[in-house]
Amino acid sequence: MRDSNLLDLLLWILRLRLRFRVTGASMFPLLQPGDEVLIDPRAFEKRPPQVGDVVMAQHPTQPGLKIVKRVTAVLPDDHYQISGDNPSASTDSRTFGPVSRQQILGLVTSRFG
Amino acid sequence: MKMLTSKIKALFPAKAELSAHCDGPCGVYDPASARIAAEAVVSMTKKMIALEGKTDLDSINNMSRYIAIKEEQAHIAKTEILVLWTDYFKPAHLEQFPELHDVIWETTKLLSHCKQHVDVEATGKLMEKIQQIHSMFWATKGRDVTFYVAS
Repeated sequence: MRDSNLLDLLLWILRLRLRFRVTGASMFPLLQPGDEVLIDPRAFEKRPPQVGDVVMAQHPTQPGLKIVKRVTAVLPDDHYQISGDNPSASTDSRTFGPVSRQQILGLVTSRFG
Repeated sequence: MKMLTSKIKALFPAKAELSAHCDGPCGVYDPASARIAAEAVVSMTKKMIALEGKTDLDSINNMSRYIAIKEEQAHIAKTEILVLWTDYFKPAHLEQFPELHDVIWETTKLLSHCKQHVDVEATGKLMEKIQQIHSMFWATKGRDVTFYVAS
């Protein structure tokens, strides 16, 4: 994942990017607890999520819990399999099944800091 | 640029959290189980020394129990540490703590020594090593967890 550049910083200041702090280790070693990322909440208005995208998603059964995972398969009917990069410490589509397009809230565009 | 964003991050950490979520396995690993077993080794060593020279039947009975528990708990501590080493710690952690392999080696060697001998000094060193593993483990999770001991 690339580091934020001046454009990212500008987009964040303009509130076109959301900034989040990562907790948990399911995306290790890409993202470690305490890392911060910028998210484009409108990325998937332009194109559908694709395999390899690191995305912010709504946990399907825990309201309010936003999770970060990688899209690992595009399934029929606009559903997506999402997985942690660190499968031994991840709860993901293996447990809660595929997520719908509406549950994918944004694309992680860069690392912050 | 990275300096600038790092500065922003340091001064104004993001409040919103994004979970690299895990329901179960995240909590599986905890160096506390090694610490508890190692503390039993410390305690049994002290009890054995306190009982030295006593020849009544109860004392002999207790001595053999202390020895058995010391042996058993040292082995449990060793297993717990080796599981952390082989299952939890990843190559990126080794970059963060290049001394990791040495510390694991020294700790498990100390546990063997504590089985073979009745050595208070070695049990003291053992607890220092266990604390070192505790600190590395929690640092990899970005958490500052206090090291508690029972005694």
